[in-house]
Amino acid sequence: MKAVILLSGGRSAATGNPAPPQAELSAIRLAVGLGAELIGLHAGPAAEAAKPALGHGLGVIRHIPMSGNADISTAIVAEITRIAPAIVLAGNRATGDGETGLLPYLLARALGWPILADAAHVSRDDDGEFTVEQALPRGLRRRLRQKGPLVVTVHPSAPAAMPYAFGQARRGRVDTVPAPSTQPDAAEEPALRPHRPRARIMRGAVSGGSAADRLKAATESASGGGDLMMDPDPEEAARAILAHLRRIGALPD
Amino acid sequence: MTRLRKDPRLERARLQVPGTLRLRYDRRGAAAPVRPRADPRAEKLSQIVATAPRLRLDRGQRTAPLSSASQPMPLEAEAPRVVTVENPDFWVLVLADPGDGRLSAVDRQLLGAARILAGKAGGVIFAGEGPPADAGSAGADRLIALPQTPHPEDRAMLALAIADAILPRHILTAETADGGDLARRLAVARRQALFPNVEQISGRGVVRSIPGRGLDQSGDAAPIMTIVPDMILPHGADVREARPMDSGSLPPSAREAELVPPQPGSLPLGEAGFVVSAGNGVRDFDLFRQVAALLGATPGASRVVCDAGFMPRAAQVGASGTVLAADCYFALGIAGAPQHLQGIAGCEHVVAVNTDLHAAMIERAGLAIVADAQPVMAALKRLLEAEQQA
Repeated sequence: MKAVILLSGGRSAATGNPAPPQAELSAIRLAVGLGAELIGLHAGPAAEAAKPALGHGLGVIRHIPMSGNADISTAIVAEITRIAPAIVLAGNRATGDGETGLLPYLLARALGWPILADAAHVSRDDDGEFTVEQALPRGLRRRLRQKGPLVVTVHPSAPAAMPYAFGQARRGRVDTVPAPSTQPDAAEEPALRPHRPRARIMRGAVSGGSAADRLKAATESASGGGDLMMDPDPEEAARAILAHLRRIGALPD
Repeated sequence: MTRLRKDPRLERARLQVPGTLRLRYDRRGAAAPVRPRADPRAEKLSQIVATAPRLRLDRGQRTAPLSSASQPMPLEAEAPRVVTVENPDFWVLVLADPGDGRLSAVDRQLLGAARILAGKAGGVIFAGEGPPADAGSAGADRLIALPQTPHPEDRAMLALAIADAILPRHILTAETADGGDLARRLAVARRQALFPNVEQISGRGVVRSIPGRGLDQSGDAAPIMTIVPDMILPHGADVREARPMDSGSLPPSAREAELVPPQPGSLPLGEAGFVVSAGNGVRDFDLFRQVAALLGATPGASRVVCDAGFMPRAAQVGASGTVLAADCYFALGIAGAPQHLQGIAGCEHVVAVNTDLHAAMIERAGLAIVADAQPVMAALKRLLEAEQQA
């Protein structure tokens, strides 16, 4: 069984060194857990950005040379069709370009395969059916079953990448695939400017309305506006607490 | 303000005789303006807080002096005016994440963003499970009730059916696991532009950040957008109608998905959804841990307890401990120092048990119980164990 790992070329936000995102490296670990033959796939000007993945458990990377602002989806679809894997794994958001996370969905549509997003774990039955555990917020997991071949994007909360091994990275090889003849330009990127961190909103703040409305909304929620029980019977207090927790949904009914 | 202040210039202007060459004032018939006299008995009556077990007065607020003749009119809360929209120029469709049928904080932010996009001419449709009753006050003009669909592909089919029926100008979802997936499936299926991770939205356009490159990208509002949670304000200007809307026949959901809840102890404190905390008022920590396990909550503690060694430092909640992202916080025997309250600033619901009525935690709590934590914990344990056995 073959597994293709899509690698994006990006730089680490902290150091600026070429580093694929953690989700892609976790995808490598998940593919190793499936027992598949791993093939990495990178499309872009240089393979340098994807090379660190070789030390994290990937043996070979296929590099499709393309210009910086080309649209890569057709080339990747062609290469995946040529490789014919049972599963394509990708990180849920790439780094380096638009970072919209749309490419795996475009690939799934072009290939005609189903796509399951935000996987924290993937396993495979003997009859070829994959069980994907999706990572939802607050530690919830959703288990879905899907027959292959399929595209799976990996959530950052998947098991951490395999530790970097320098010897393995040296032994890994990068195969350059012949560049596609036509390289259509990607859609023009709208205005870019340096990042300005924006603050999160205050709890209880609302927009619109008069200043008095906004103040009322903000202070009403801050004060709790709640019920008070003075020196009740412990039994009664416990019942009230449990009823309140059930009402707000903290305890399942 | 207790005594109405006279404006002498206004009074003088009232007495002025108009239309004369020089200023003339008519001071003949005016009776001396009656200064409202304070009625001490009525004032005391309005300050009574409790009569049993003893008379208690709140003299902190001097109410306006009442004359004994007139009774104070009961102030009715004015019914908020509901804004209705019949045929807007375009629709903005909001697709809510699957939840428990109530309006979550992110749903409100979605409606706030949708209202900004709709502006004056557009209408907002809220499509979600439930549907929630207070969607109108959050800014929804129409409501579509969605059936529960566990599988993401089925949800996408449902959303596509609704979008084809309504043909909205913009579709909004949240940038969460479910919402982000749905938005991308829609964008790819209908070949429409996607502008994800919107952090700032206004009439002029939308802004997102590209963290890997340290850049911001601004553009016009795209047909499909996702908003980052907790970056856009909810709507508070007016109350909308939230009329239920018929969406036609929706495709049935066929596929199953199994939801696996997390083990109560496996989540780190910073990510847990329900936290139970012990403070100085708790003496029996074995009982506390049992109660936390029965409630299915993650145990936390205040600084005093961690310093004394009864709970590990990792369980400390507060500014120098862990800042919680929980929805619900249950504080047992915690007074509520400011640094501790900083740690629970993000918690929506707080339940507190403390012997001190004037503790800051009691004021912060939505349900406050002034009692000793020990018997309350014992009663909780008894009740939960009885329920589990039944």
